[in-house]
Amino acid sequence: MPWKNRYTVSDERCFADEQVTWPGVKKAAFTLTIDLSPTCRAEGLRLHDFQTPEAFYGMNRGMDVLRQTLGKHAVRATFAVPGVMAEAYAPLLRSLESEGHEVAAHGWVHEDPSLLDENEEEARLARTTDSLGQALGHRPWGWFSLPRPSDKYAGGGLSDQTVALLVKHGYEYLGNSTVDDRPHYWLTDAQKSAGILSMPYYYHFDDQFFLLFPARGTGLEHMDALERNWRRELRAQQNRGLVFNATVHPHAIAWPHRLWRFDTLLADVMRDGTWWNPTARECTAHWRTLQPLEDVSISEEIWTHYEDSLN
Amino acid sequence: MATSASRPSPHAQNAVHETAGGEGIIKSPEQVVDVVEAHASHHRIPDRIEWPDANRVAVNLTVDFDAMLLRKLLDEPPMQLGKGEFGGRVGVWRLLELFRRHNVSATFFVPGRICELYPDAVRQAAADGHEVADHMWEHRVPADYEIERAHLVRTADALAATTGIRPIGSRSWHDADLMSELGYLYNSHDAADDRPHFVTTDSGTELVSLPFHYTWDDAMYFNFAWLNTENSAQRMADSDRVLELWWDAFQQQYKVGGYLNLCLHPEFSGRSLRIDMLDELIRRMKSFDGVWFSTCADVARHMLGAGRS
Repeated sequence: MPWKNRYTVSDERCFADEQVTWPGVKKAAFTLTIDLSPTCRAEGLRLHDFQTPEAFYGMNRGMDVLRQTLGKHAVRATFAVPGVMAEAYAPLLRSLESEGHEVAAHGWVHEDPSLLDENEEEARLARTTDSLGQALGHRPWGWFSLPRPSDKYAGGGLSDQTVALLVKHGYEYLGNSTVDDRPHYWLTDAQKSAGILSMPYYYHFDDQFFLLFPARGTGLEHMDALERNWRRELRAQQNRGLVFNATVHPHAIAWPHRLWRFDTLLADVMRDGTWWNPTARECTAHWRTLQPLEDVSISEEIWTHYEDSLN
Repeated sequence: MATSASRPSPHAQNAVHETAGGEGIIKSPEQVVDVVEAHASHHRIPDRIEWPDANRVAVNLTVDFDAMLLRKLLDEPPMQLGKGEFGGRVGVWRLLELFRRHNVSATFFVPGRICELYPDAVRQAAADGHEVADHMWEHRVPADYEIERAHLVRTADALAATTGIRPIGSRSWHDADLMSELGYLYNSHDAADDRPHFVTTDSGTELVSLPFHYTWDDAMYFNFAWLNTENSAQRMADSDRVLELWWDAFQQQYKVGGYLNLCLHPEFSGRSLRIDMLDELIRRMKSFDGVWFSTCADVARHMLGAGRS
């Protein structure tokens, strides 16, 4: 049956703008995702990915100045962390949560799960949950599958069973989805037998696709374009009362010549006073009160099968 | 994947004429003369177009409502399909609201299959007074002529059943003789001239061509992996830059009394920041006198009236 089989994953019409409300009479939600994975390929992190100067910068000087900047403006973020990093960075992860940030899972090695068979994907998912659970003192609630800078597609990878596995393993939300620019349900099938609330992600607001991107060439630095995208989206989503999400990497955004622009942007957002700044878990928990899964309405299938067509 | 072979789009950017072996090797300059003359004989370009009601420039806002269909054809992964899905559940409704707010007409080029995926949006576009035109059955042209005919007829039937109006225009590389036989008046897919013009086939069929240039296509700037390109080919632009590029293009065409055909996809232009950018662009355009915000059908019919007089 084609209806929900790799055509659509959610309801046919988004949750209406005018029905969206936020806690504390705030106008819109400002969410920040910080990807702690060093740069890697679709197969995921290897040891040498931790040995590059960029990786060292990201987890040392980059994290220091980025945390200072977040602290200066009292901005809270959600950190996407591969399970394999949990043991090495356990004190850091705990201190991030003590500062009000959330730490969420980001695959075992930030791999594209569509490259794995189902058993291997589930084994890695369980291992990730355990390793982050041990580091944090509680299980992670969110699961990210963000893109890598060398990916052909800039949305992040999912296998056909990822969402069902996340539901089975008790995850509350999927951290990045291209389907909407507000939280929405990613359903496993047309019967709504399972679904997971998903947070919006869009590569035009992700630093890695603007800063020295693609990896090799000339004239590849576009911090100015990235900031213009952020600022226009901020204004537009604030007017609509929806969600803004930026995704950044300490090895990229935290270089001083870029960070000052991000610093200014965060200052403007927080000074404005109309933004709610939740973690991803808080944002999805609030959304569940606006739109429980039971309220999602799927249109009746009217698909016609033709032998000469995609089906 | 599609269940029958497809014919590629003829654009030079698609490198469809990459050849192996001896095909296309030039043996004499006379061959080039013959090819150039034959190519010229298939194009009839008006020197100057007088727009109705003394308007100075014609603007066609066009919406290619592909959603995830092209992504499906290219067998792309779930998050890519999700990017297309955004167009159907969010973006198309924002574009409709934007056009309503500005009281401007647009043309929605709609694959027939979209009438099964997002029938409410297609109906609303027609109810708002926009033109709904062909964009192939599932964003491809079958290589087999009979299957191509079946797709073209099926799309016209689906659009007519959904909107109550049979399409007279297309954005496709369907066979021009076939389109003409089925009542189509125009195609808006190629850019052999910057002015609306006429293209004839070997059998003498003539269709209006409404030029659409890739630099006026939002996907060129905003779509990662556009036309199935690899990672190292990506150079994404921000909406402010595109606003100024398109504003420049409009002002230039306004000066010469010309034509501008903007190609918008709900999955890209329906993003909040781009609706905001388009709102600014339309407001700037409306600040000029004599801008004819029309449908492609309006322009094609005008061309046929002017061209035959």
